[in-house]
Amino acid sequence: MRGKGEKGVNREQEITMATETTNAGMSRRQFLRGSAVAPLALMLAGSGVAAVYLRPAEAGGVTLRPPGAIAEKRFLAACVRCGKCAQACPYRSIKMAGGEAGVGIGTPVIVPREMPCYLCPDLPCITACPSGALDKSLQDPEKVRIGTAVIMDRESCLSIRGLRCEVCHRQCPLIDKAITIEPRHNPRTDEHTIMEPVVHSEKCVGCGICENSCVLPKPAIVVQKTVVIQRDSYEF
Amino acid sequence: MGLTRRDFIKASAAAAAFAAVGVPVLRPEGVDAAEAGISWGKAPCRYCGVGCCVLVGVKGGKIVATKGDPAGPVNKGLNCIKGYFLSKALYGKDRLTKPLIRKGNRMVEASWDEALDLIATKYQQAIAAHGPDSVAMYGSGQWTVHEGYTASKLMKGGIGTNNLEPNARLCMASAVVAFMNTFGSDEPMGCYDDLDLGDTYILWGANMAEAHPVLFSRLIDNKLKHPKVRLIDVATRKTRTTKMADQYIAMRPHGDLAAINAMIHVILRDKLYDEAFIKQHVNFKRGKENAPYGLKDKEVFNETPADIKNLTFDEYKELMKQFTPQWGEKISGIPAAKIEELARIYGDKSRKVTSLWTMGVNQHSRGVWVNNLIYNLHLLTGKICKPGENPLSLTGQPSACGTAREVGTFAHRLPADMVVMNEAHRKKTAGIWGINPDKISSKVGLHTMEMFRAIDRNELKCIWIQCTNPFQSLPNVSRLRKAAEARKAFIVVSDIYPTKSTEVADVILPSASWVEKEGVFGNTERRTQHWFKMIEPPGQAREDSWQLIQFAKRMGLGHLFPYSEKGFHKEMWEEYRRFTIGAGKDLAPYEAYAKVRGLRWPVKPDGKETRWRYTDADDPYLKKGEGIKFYKAPGNRVNVWFRPYEPPAESPDREYPFWFCTGRLLEHWHTGTMTGRVPELRRAVSGATIEMHPEDAKRLGIRNRDPVRITSRRGSIVLPAEINGRSTPEKGSVFSTFFDETKLINELCIDAFDPLSKEPDFKKCAVKVRKA
Repeated sequence: MRGKGEKGVNREQEITMATETTNAGMSRRQFLRGSAVAPLALMLAGSGVAAVYLRPAEAGGVTLRPPGAIAEKRFLAACVRCGKCAQACPYRSIKMAGGEAGVGIGTPVIVPREMPCYLCPDLPCITACPSGALDKSLQDPEKVRIGTAVIMDRESCLSIRGLRCEVCHRQCPLIDKAITIEPRHNPRTDEHTIMEPVVHSEKCVGCGICENSCVLPKPAIVVQKTVVIQRDSYEF
Repeated sequence: MGLTRRDFIKASAAAAAFAAVGVPVLRPEGVDAAEAGISWGKAPCRYCGVGCCVLVGVKGGKIVATKGDPAGPVNKGLNCIKGYFLSKALYGKDRLTKPLIRKGNRMVEASWDEALDLIATKYQQAIAAHGPDSVAMYGSGQWTVHEGYTASKLMKGGIGTNNLEPNARLCMASAVVAFMNTFGSDEPMGCYDDLDLGDTYILWGANMAEAHPVLFSRLIDNKLKHPKVRLIDVATRKTRTTKMADQYIAMRPHGDLAAINAMIHVILRDKLYDEAFIKQHVNFKRGKENAPYGLKDKEVFNETPADIKNLTFDEYKELMKQFTPQWGEKISGIPAAKIEELARIYGDKSRKVTSLWTMGVNQHSRGVWVNNLIYNLHLLTGKICKPGENPLSLTGQPSACGTAREVGTFAHRLPADMVVMNEAHRKKTAGIWGINPDKISSKVGLHTMEMFRAIDRNELKCIWIQCTNPFQSLPNVSRLRKAAEARKAFIVVSDIYPTKSTEVADVILPSASWVEKEGVFGNTERRTQHWFKMIEPPGQAREDSWQLIQFAKRMGLGHLFPYSEKGFHKEMWEEYRRFTIGAGKDLAPYEAYAKVRGLRWPVKPDGKETRWRYTDADDPYLKKGEGIKFYKAPGNRVNVWFRPYEPPAESPDREYPFWFCTGRLLEHWHTGTMTGRVPELRRAVSGATIEMHPEDAKRLGIRNRDPVRITSRRGSIVLPAEINGRSTPEKGSVFSTFFDETKLINELCIDAFDPLSKEPDFKKCAVKVRKA
C-alpha cells in the first residue's frame, strides 16, 4: 500500500492508516461482506492433490463440521460438497476443506481459531444444505453440537494460574451454562481466588468462540469432537 | 464502642508472618537459563486504581517480560489480563516518535525546538491579548506525581491561572468533594485490608469483578474462607460481580439517592444508630438544594458557608421522617422490605460492614450527595475507622489519588488538601515554591466541562492535553470535536499513540510511557509506589514533565524548576513532600520508596505506613487512648449531611424510552489507545457492543449480534447487540463500553454534571433503540 518510512510521506496519513490497522478486527463483518466464497474453485484446485493424499482412515478425525452435521461417516456420504452452507455463513466461519482432508475434500469445516461459529439464531447454514448432511430438524442454536470445548492446557491457562482472565467464559455465548466459573482459594497467595473456567459438556455447543478468543499464543481451551459419555449404572 | 484491638493485632500478625516467610517464586527448572541476561525491576501496573505490583524484565534495552510481583502486597504475584500483557501496550507499531505540527490538513514532522517554540509563542500571544485565564492544561490521573506536580507549579505558580484539570474530574471528583465536606481531608480512612477483615460488603453500582479485577479476587477469597461473609450487589445491571454476590438488588438508575435516604430513615426510626459515636464525632448539616445540572454554559452553583444550615440530631431525624421505605421503593424500585433489610444490615452490631463504590456513584448528577449518604450510613452506625468496617471509595486510575488528588491538579486545588481560594493555603504554597503569593490566582479555574466548552465559545485560546484522550472520553463529545475541528483553539496533545484527540491537535508531542521514565503513582488505598526508568522511550519521545519544563523555560519560567538533571525526580519529590509533612498526608523520603512495594500515607516518623486513619490503633496523629479522632475536620467533628432526592438531568420518555449507561470491561482500558494495540486483547474483545435485556430485545425483534441503532438527543450510533452475555441491564436500560475508538458512544451521553463536583453523569441519559 503506502510506502513506510519514506521521506516526505504524509505523516497524518500514516497515522490514520496505522489506526485503521489497529481496528481491523473490529469491522469483521464489513470485511466479510466484500469477499465471496468459491467452493467450486477450491474443489477443482484440490482434486489433483486429493488423488495423491486419499486417507480414508483419517478422514473423520478431528475436523469440526458446521451446526447440524450428522454422524461423520454418514456426513461424508451425504455431503454433496456444494459449498452452500459456507456461502450462507455471514461470518465465513465455514470453510471448504482442501486436499489435506483426504476423502473429506470439499466438505465444510470450521476452524475455530480462525473463525468460530457465532451461532446465528436462524442457523442459515442448515437452511442452505440441500442434501441433509446438515440436519434440518435442528432449529435451536443451543442444541448445536459442533464439538465440546476442553481446557487442554491447564498449566498454561491464565485463569487456573490465578490471573483474572476468564476471557473464554465471558465470551461464551452460553455463559454460565456451557462455561461456569468455579472459584476456589488460591493457596499460593493465600489471599486471592482462582476463578477457574469449567466447561459443561451437556451444554457446550462447540462453537469455538472460547478457542478463538483465548489470549494465549496456543489456545488453552480447544474444541474437540464430542466424546460420547459412557453410561453405566453407577450413581452417586 | 469497643474498638476491636484484637482485629488490629490479628491483621498485623498475618502481615508480619507473610513478610517474614515471603512468597517463593515458583518457577520451573530451566527458566533461569532462559532468563539469563534479563534484569528485573519493580513497578506498579500502568492501568487501573488497584495498583498491582509487577516485575519488569529488561534485556537489550527492551522489555522482554512482565510478571506479577510476588512481593507486592496488593496482588502477591497476580495480575489481570491487561496487566499480563502490560509491556505490549508500549510496543504498538504506530508509537509516536517525533513531534508533529499541523500544516493545514497535514501533520508534518518537526524538531522539539520548533514544536516547543511554536507552543510558547501561541501561549504568550494568548496571554498577552486575553490574560492568563485564556490558556489551559488538561492532564490525567495517569500522570506520575512528578508530571502532575510540574504542571501544577507551571500553571498555578508560573503562568498564574488555575485552568489546570485532570481527567480525574470524570471519575473521582464526586468522591473528593464528599471526602472534603465530610472529613476535611481527601481519600479513605480504610484500605484493602478491609476486604480481608470484614464480613459484609455492600457494592453500590460497582462492577468490581471487571473494573477492579485482582481486588475482587481478594474480596471473594474472604468469602470462600469465611462462611459468614456476605456480598450484596445493589446495581442497575446484572454483571460478573452479581454472579459472585450472595444477593443482587436491582435498582432504577438514580435510585441510590432515594434508597439510601430511606435506609437512613429506618436506621433512625428503629434506633439502629450508635448514639455515643454520634455525640462524640458528628455534626448535622443541610446544604443547598434545588441544584442545576450544568447543562447551560457558565452555570454557577456553589455551596458556600452561608448556604449551609446546622441541624440538631432531632431536627435531622425530623427531616428524615419523610423518606419512608415505601417512598424509597417508589423511586428506587427496590422493594420497601429490602430497604429495611439493608438498613438493618448496616445497623447490625454483629456485622462488620464495608461499602464499596466507584463510578456508579461518582458519575452521577448528584454524585456528591450519594457519597455523603453512604458516609451517613457509616457515621450514624459508627462503622468506620475499624478493620473491615469502612466506606471504601474505589478509584479508577493508577494515580487519580497520588497525582490528581494529592498533588491537586484540579482547578481549585493545591497540594495536600489545600485550595486556591484560601489565602493561607496560597501563602504556604508560594513559600514552598519560592514565589510571590500574589502569583497564585485566587479564582477557581475552569473545570473540565467548562474548559472544553470554552473552546467552543472562543474563550479559551490554548490548551495542552497530556496523557488522556478527551475528544473520545468527554460526554456530548461531538460539540467539543466540532469546536476543535473548527480550530477554535490551539491544541497541543502529548501522547504515545495517535488517538481521537491527536486527530484534532495542532501540535502532537511524543511521550514516554510507564517504565520509559521514572515515576510515582498513588493508588486507592493511599499507597505510594515508585519505579525507576528501565528502558529508553522510542525515537524522540520524552517524559511529559520534561516537555513542560522545556516549555516553561521558553515562557521565562525556568526558575520554577531548579532541579539538577540527574537528581530531578528526588529533588522535586523532596520539595513536594514538604506539603505533606504535618498535613496528615505525610510521605516518606524518596529513597524509601525504592526499597518497598509502596507505603500507605501518612508515613509514620519511624518510616512505617498507616493502614487505618483517624484511629489511635494505627494513625500516628492520634495519641493512644484517643480512640477515634477526625483530626482533619473542623472541631474534630465530621458532617452527616441531609441530602434529599432530586431527579436525574434526563429520564426516558415516549420518544427516548431507554436509559443509556456506559462503563468499563475487564479486557480494555479507558479509550483503548493502549489495550487496543495489544493483539491478544483485541482477539479477546474486538469492539463495543450494546447490552440489552432479552425481553426488550425480543419486543424490538433484535437478536444477538444484530446491528442496533441507538439514538439520543445528541447523537446516533450503530452497535451489535449483546443479549444474555457477560452482563444484562435491567429492563428498559441498555449499556455500552467506551473503549472502542471506532464507536464514539460519548456522542450520545448528556453533558450534565454534579453541581458540586462538576463530574459528568456518564451513567444516565435517554435513548431510543431500534434494529438497524
